[in-house]
Amino acid sequence: MARLKFLCDADRCIECNACATVCKNEHEVPWGMVRRRVVTINDGETDERSVAVSCMHCTDAPCVAVCPTSTLYQTDLGIVLHDKDNCIGCGYCFYACPFGAPQFPEATLMGSRGKMDKCTYCAGGPEENGSEAEFKKYGRNRIAEGKLPICAEVCSTRALLAGDGDVVGEIYRERVIHRGYGSGAWGWKTAYYPDEKS
Amino acid sequence: MSDVIVRGRDFTAYRIGGAIAAALLFAALLWQTYEIFDGDAMTVPETSWTAVNDGEGSGENAVLADDILVARTRLLDERFKTGPSPEEPGFAAQAGQTLVEEPIDGYSKALPEAWMTGDAEMLRMLRPGQRTEGLSSLPYVNAALFERPEGRDWRLGMADFITHLGALVILGFAFLLALLLAIRGRVPIAEGRARTKVKRFGFLERATHWMTATSFIGLALTGIVIAYGETLILPFGGDLLGQAGWIATWGHAVCFPPFAFGILIMGIMWVGRNIPDRLDWIWLKNGGGLFSDEGPNPPAKKFNAGQKLIFWSAMLGGILMVGTGVMLMFPFFFLGLEAQAWVMLGHATVATFLIAIFIGHIYIGTVGMQGAIDAMWSGRVDRNWAKEHHELWLKDIEKEETAR
Ligand code: HEM
Repeated sequence: MARLKFLCDADRCIECNACATVCKNEHEVPWGMVRRRVVTINDGETDERSVAVSCMHCTDAPCVAVCPTSTLYQTDLGIVLHDKDNCIGCGYCFYACPFGAPQFPEATLMGSRGKMDKCTYCAGGPEENGSEAEFKKYGRNRIAEGKLPICAEVCSTRALLAGDGDVVGEIYRERVIHRGYGSGAWGWKTAYYPDEKS
Repeated sequence: MSDVIVRGRDFTAYRIGGAIAAALLFAALLWQTYEIFDGDAMTVPETSWTAVNDGEGSGENAVLADDILVARTRLLDERFKTGPSPEEPGFAAQAGQTLVEEPIDGYSKALPEAWMTGDAEMLRMLRPGQRTEGLSSLPYVNAALFERPEGRDWRLGMADFITHLGALVILGFAFLLALLLAIRGRVPIAEGRARTKVKRFGFLERATHWMTATSFIGLALTGIVIAYGETLILPFGGDLLGQAGWIATWGHAVCFPPFAFGILIMGIMWVGRNIPDRLDWIWLKNGGGLFSDEGPNPPAKKFNAGQKLIFWSAMLGGILMVGTGVMLMFPFFFLGLEAQAWVMLGHATVATFLIAIFIGHIYIGTVGMQGAIDAMWSGRVDRNWAKEHHELWLKDIEKEETAR
């Protein structure tokens, strides 16, 4: 069975923010929220790196474990989805998320956060695939069409890779061997191998 | 002390009720203990993807969903390996073919456990997990964060530790109280009712108490729905849990202002009579005279040491809960993400202890002690009750009465 993952090759990411932009556009993500963002580490130093991050769709996902209303759930491809109908905006998933992925609409009455939004790996939500209702709440469902997340598929330098973890890992390793350097798979230890020592 | 006319153990109906409650709570405790060790803390997949063709059944095509996505992943390799981008739209899935999700029955850790073990090659490419924050050109709060492995610790604290510990504290304490009622019966007015009354709490005091009490109970129940809904409500359906969750979120916000206000007024009204003194020590050493009908009933002024403890729990606990709660109501206004996360854990921890403490208070104010409820209900208590439990206070009252 495939295990879908994200891998951002920080040695290739040029901080163009195309992934963040195309994601907002594809899913018509509401104002004030981003499902994917680019973070620049050591800005201006010689070891400056940029890396794109969103929900990593973790193994043994902590957000799913803490959600008090069973809003979050994982699929057998590893994708973590959410059911907006049940979300109460408590923010627990946000406290548990190792990547700051859950987003909340602008604070509304009495500081309540509103319903959580996050990256769906372009796999929609519990509504019927490709339906209007699904699009409104979760955005486009590309996985149902056999396509991978648009952020990775548009990446101009192919820094951001999405798809089966083994294949993505292989592509990355061959690339590193070919060019002779690589700063490793960012976030993978925390997201996918929490119990492995490395 | 004069003759004991009413005995705690003669309240048979109360004792039977206590025994039944104790049995139920014991069962709940066993079940909660089992929940800790039943090993279902790991997140496992709840739905499964399959590829279906138009109009055809699903199920046999699971491998296909896999093949489609793996083939699509290969397209992300270097262009000289993959060739030009595929011409026809919908390259990966054939026309009329879609991938759909279906619920998985049962709980199995097999898949996530397989996901978590990497081969040597895979492990070598991992970058160590560490807190990483930089800058972001995007104008969003918290956008500069890349990674915070502490999220996983928070999850352990919340989902595995505080929730279970809290349930044990609340159920365990309630169990002890039920057991006390079953064995000892109520704390009686040993000399029987005098049938004459003494004024104990005025209208303002009682109104404040009940406003604070109802809002506290509202906060506690809505909080319990949020903290324990997955155990208590989910078995009756996910939608019900979602609705209960919304009611709880709003209910929590609605109950908060009267609670905060009540704590403030109570503090102003009663703090003077709740300063600890030497008498409290004697009272505590005698266990408050709680366990025997014959006494000695340690002397107390208006509030005994037990009540002072309740008062100070309400004050300190209330201030902590209100303070942390307000900070959490305005994300990123007072605190950053890390601080909010730990404040949330603190809020949950203090809450479970306060709930347990106030179960004790409600117990002694109602079933646990004969005549106690009158103090807060009508505001007037039986003279013998006052004599037995608040000797020094009654003497003061009587002095005033004769002076008049
Ligand atoms: C159904 C629930 C409750 C009942 C039946 C109840 C009953 C009582 C009674 C009878 C008293 C008077 C004791 C005396 O004669 O001195 C009292 C006092 C008091 N209550 Fe409650 N109460 C309840 C809930 C609460 C809650 C939730 C709080 C906290 C926020 C609270 C805070 C206090 C405080 C601070 C006092 C004064 C100190 C003391 O007497 O312990 N009560 N309550």
